[in-house]
Amino acid sequence: MSGRKRNGQPSHAGIHVFLAAFTLLTVYPLLWVLAIAFSGEQSLAIASLPRNPGALDRLRAVVPWPHQWSFANFVSVVRDQPFATWLWNSAVVAVGTTVLGVFLACTAGYAFSRFRFPGRRAGLMSFLVSQMFPGTLMLIPLYIIIVQWLGLGSTRTGLVLAYTTTAIPFCVWMLKGYFDTIPRELEEAALMDGASPARIFWQIVLPLSKPAVAVTALFSFMTGWNEFILAATFMDKEALYTAPVGLRFFVGGFSQQWGYFAAGSVIVSIPVVVLFLFVQKYLVSGLTAGAVKG
Amino acid sequence: MARSDARRRAAIGLTIAAGVAALLGWLLLYWAADAAQQSAAERAARQRAAAFASIVERAGPAGNRIRAAVAAMGGGDPSVERVRVVLLLGRQLVASTAPEDTGARAAPRALEMPEKPIYDVAQELRAAVQTNREEGSPRKDEIHTVHLPSGGIAVTAPLQRGEDVVGMVQLEMAPQGHAHRPALLQAVAAWLLPVALFLLLSIPLGARPVPLLITAAALLVGAVVAQTGLAASHLGWDSRRTIEQSAQQLRELGERASRALAGLPAAEPEPGSEPGSEQPAAGFPELPSFDTSLGVPAESEAAAAPLDPVAWDVDRFRRPLGLLTRDGTPAPEALASAQGKAVRFGRRAAASTGALSLTLLLLVAMGTAEAAAGAVVRHRVAYLYVLPALLGMTLLVFFPFVYGITLSFTDSNLYNTNQSLGETWIGLKNYAEVLSGFHLVQKTDSGWSFDYGSFYWTLFFTIVWTVTNVAIGVSVGLVLALVLNTKGLALRPVYRVLLILPWAVPTYITALTWRGMFHQQFGVINQVLQIFGAPAISWYDKPLTSYLTALATNGWLSFPFMMVVSLGALQSIPAELYEAARVDGASRWDQFRAITLPSLKPALVPAVILSVVWTFNQFNVIYLVTAGEPGGATEILITKAYKIAFEKYRYGYAAAYSTVIFAILLAYGTLQNRLSRATEEIA
Repeated sequence: MSGRKRNGQPSHAGIHVFLAAFTLLTVYPLLWVLAIAFSGEQSLAIASLPRNPGALDRLRAVVPWPHQWSFANFVSVVRDQPFATWLWNSAVVAVGTTVLGVFLACTAGYAFSRFRFPGRRAGLMSFLVSQMFPGTLMLIPLYIIIVQWLGLGSTRTGLVLAYTTTAIPFCVWMLKGYFDTIPRELEEAALMDGASPARIFWQIVLPLSKPAVAVTALFSFMTGWNEFILAATFMDKEALYTAPVGLRFFVGGFSQQWGYFAAGSVIVSIPVVVLFLFVQKYLVSGLTAGAVKG
Repeated sequence: MARSDARRRAAIGLTIAAGVAALLGWLLLYWAADAAQQSAAERAARQRAAAFASIVERAGPAGNRIRAAVAAMGGGDPSVERVRVVLLLGRQLVASTAPEDTGARAAPRALEMPEKPIYDVAQELRAAVQTNREEGSPRKDEIHTVHLPSGGIAVTAPLQRGEDVVGMVQLEMAPQGHAHRPALLQAVAAWLLPVALFLLLSIPLGARPVPLLITAAALLVGAVVAQTGLAASHLGWDSRRTIEQSAQQLRELGERASRALAGLPAAEPEPGSEPGSEQPAAGFPELPSFDTSLGVPAESEAAAAPLDPVAWDVDRFRRPLGLLTRDGTPAPEALASAQGKAVRFGRRAAASTGALSLTLLLLVAMGTAEAAAGAVVRHRVAYLYVLPALLGMTLLVFFPFVYGITLSFTDSNLYNTNQSLGETWIGLKNYAEVLSGFHLVQKTDSGWSFDYGSFYWTLFFTIVWTVTNVAIGVSVGLVLALVLNTKGLALRPVYRVLLILPWAVPTYITALTWRGMFHQQFGVINQVLQIFGAPAISWYDKPLTSYLTALATNGWLSFPFMMVVSLGALQSIPAELYEAARVDGASRWDQFRAITLPSLKPALVPAVILSVVWTFNQFNVIYLVTAGEPGGATEILITKAYKIAFEKYRYGYAAAYSTVIFAILLAYGTLQNRLSRATEEIA
């Protein structure tokens, strides 16, 4: 009984060692970015090496702790570069995508889950198949439709539309799976009480599906916040760039401003990471819809 | 009952189908006539612009001669509303017949700041002429054509001195009306005649559905062919007449031009060039005074050569259209080809409207449409809920997909984006090119060498890439989930949050970060290697190490998804199941196999399918981490297609490449679906 504590619980020391090591490995790249962001310099290395570096010098260059802490990168990325504008554009686009995407996915997912109608299977399958459409095949036609036909080039609306339709298939499947787990009896009871289908949807089904809706919203937001290629293709005015397109400037081509890149990355990542943590209690139950404890 | 139904349905179907066909045929004819008229108007405008440019080049350099030539040329021509002649050097407005350029603003004068767009057009033309000459192929318009809101056309042609563009002539043409609306009576006849005939014929035919249907279809096809045939011949004669009229106009234009040149006054010095009288132009900084003449001596060879009106009949790249013979009469082959074009249009119109209306007829007559309409009404709530998402998907996902596939049969590239898909159609050539890279391995002096540009190498690499990544993602995610699911584990939320982080961080940031960490000189990974005495590795020089960097990056960002999915499924397994198993004496392994794995399956299978597709198309990691180095060895299909489209600008070929990618994924999806269904049936 040496491996057990007095209350009979097994000791988890081994597990903790394993988890701690793995977690450290996992967060290391993030710490590395943080160290460079706060170093106040543009260099890729955390510490500059002497001419004949020993193991200790190299170790120093690996530890993600900057020589001196400085906010210089953050200040100048926001003040000297138009990064604040780009962030705002990204925010507008991502929020627009979230609102529109969640609305469309909720209604469609509900219909696929609750109603049996001709074309249901075909519709569901076509949404799934559309996930396999290679982006490179869609890019040029999308450009023609959004920029030339709809005249939405270099507008945030155009990006919102494109991102929403990118996110819809996943969101619809996800919500459909979740709606399937909500007992139909609830709705039947409401019907007996004289509630309209719209009311049942808005007041019974949606509130019960908060976890899945949260995941859908998060997914849509991330689609809009993180997308890079479409934004780079559609936005040819610098004032309308999104943050990813802007960030590429710092380390793309011949510029090697790793400090700006790191600082910008930290700023860009914070909203997504915070949102993630905020809805992460819903995350598991939402993603594995169908396997939720009653 | 059912028999009279067949007759009623065939009659209704024919009425609808013939109506749609008649309306469509009428619209197509209207549209084609309007397009023909537009292009004739543009052609006439280009002719005039070229004519003006030609006489201005001859009348110059003196400003008064240019103005006199423009006035004489434009005087008797009601279709030209205003003319402006601009020289780049000294940004001079040499001549203008525009009402706003009178009084104090009369030509000659310098262009002012608000007139910058006019000046820019001249600069653009100069750049276009130069580009086309350097590339040796026409790509940029050498004659600008803009449709004005008033319905007129503004057309701009460059003025040249030798090879240099020194200025431009801008003409605004009076608006022309739209094409005559084709006779409605024809369309009404094409609609009602077959219906009336069918009602007559159906009396002897009785109520037998098949003969009824055949009769209806035959009548419909007859009506469509007759209508489009008439329309095509109409159109053919119209375009013949247009060519003949245009030849006539060109002759008149030539005569007017020679009259204008004949009556030119002697050259006078420009008023603006006299010292002291120059008005500083508002807005532009004053430049030192230049020689603002065209620099062409009036008696030069070019000026002495006789006018050639046929040379004014050009396309927008100033290439001769070749519709007229040397003496200005329509070329017979041009007339024939105009009629041939009309006939081809008629055939296409007949085929498309015929196919559409026949489908309609069959749908209605066989009761499918009725059933569908019934279904829509019965399930209207469901369709209402699906409709918004479906509309968006259709417009921005399914339609672009179909368009992209169409593009894959063309030779569309950067240089011919103006052409229609039909003009660049090359059939299956792109696919043949994609799939023909069989010479994968070649024996050279230094051993075996791979052709990394071959489709099959990239396919092989993509499959290896996908399989290894998904295997790593699933195994790491599953192990972590099992560990995290340990009963009563302290700090579980902390571990979970930290381990989810790679998923939360945007992929492109992750990719660029890892690229930095694998840097040969400053990257931390090489530092760690050197701590242990190993040499620094130049990661992107060898296919294997380059692949490892991408694998590390993608493994890092993909395991959290699998972990979260597995963890969710694990937590939903009721603890009683394990207790019951323990009571039955099952070992831990038995429990894992009999309880854990089956409960994981419903969550893991869709996750794996999704993950395979995501990894197969994982653009960011490959594009930003390895960038295909070395020599395209670590390119996956999707990044290869992107580079073909946006680095080689071969849009059609890239579309074909992408279509092949889609076919592979679809085959995988179908197979996977079959497999999982089969295993479900066994289980």
